[in-house]
Amino acid sequence: MKQDVRSGWCVVEIRGRADAETADELEQMLRAAVEQHAKVAADFGGVDYISSAGLRAVLQAARAAQEHNAEFVVCQLRGSVKKVFEVSGMHHVLRIQGDPPC
Amino acid sequence: MLSMLEEVVLLAVDETGRLEPGREFGMAYALVGAVFFDLAMARKIDTDTEEIQIIDARPAGNAVWDRVLAQMRERPDLKTVRDWIEAIFGRNDDLEGEALASLIGRGILRHEKSKRLWIIDVERFPLADKQPQRQVRQRLAEAILTDTIPDTRDIMLVSIAEACGLLRCVLKEDQLEARRARIEMLCNLETISRKVAAALAGLDSSLRQAPIRLS
Repeated sequence: MKQDVRSGWCVVEIRGRADAETADELEQMLRAAVEQHAKVAADFGGVDYISSAGLRAVLQAARAAQEHNAEFVVCQLRGSVKKVFEVSGMHHVLRIQGDPPC
Repeated sequence: MLSMLEEVVLLAVDETGRLEPGREFGMAYALVGAVFFDLAMARKIDTDTEEIQIIDARPAGNAVWDRVLAQMRERPDLKTVRDWIEAIFGRNDDLEGEALASLIGRGILRHEKSKRLWIIDVERFPLADKQPQRQVRQRLAEAILTDTIPDTRDIMLVSIAEACGLLRCVLKEDQLEARRARIEMLCNLETISRKVAAALAGLDSSLRQAPIRLS
């Protein structure tokens, strides 16, 4: 995972698998980002698998963003990861978009 | 902290200490789902849209969780979340009884036995400490009545309470009706609750199709 600030957005690039092994790290990284920045984009372009634990980490980060009045966007979902977000109806609680906002 | 299984069973205890009758098979299926949520929160298992995997097979120190984990280790042929929900359901373990015993041990419930008509045993589990149940109800009400993103644990709790038919212990029928879309949205977020609902729907369907035998 790496973090970059562009045009006022903190972009967190996530790679590999988002599962029980990596969920704590993912949640901590995203939480830290929403606590420090007003606008955070979680870029899932490099993620090829997400499990329920990974989804919960994203939800907890979105909840933290809400508590800090930070804007939180999930972007670049693809393949099976996109399908998991769709099946779970994550678009009801998260802002999901194709391209990064910056 | 109470386990999800304990929270759901605690929710089912009414003010007289009786257990609310949930949906016929809903309670049994949903309690299995609650154990899987407990295992997921303890990072013992993980699921995706179909499959369930053991992540850490070491004992967690909770008798129910460790028994279910051991059962899962013995059946590597079962892969899907739904297979496992049905397999554990089929073992007829007394998950409700184990949760009640634990809640009594924690000083949250009392166990009272009496006789009705001098012969019928009646068991009740009055609240010895009302605070834990009040907190569980409050978390459920907030998750449903507000539009904020709930804690993942509360999302799980809503989905299990819904499958058990226990949300009516927390909110009035008109409140539940008004927030039906929100409840369904929360239930859909979690794979385990989607599979509990699918298993229940499958069971309902097979019961409807079962021939009625007249003797």
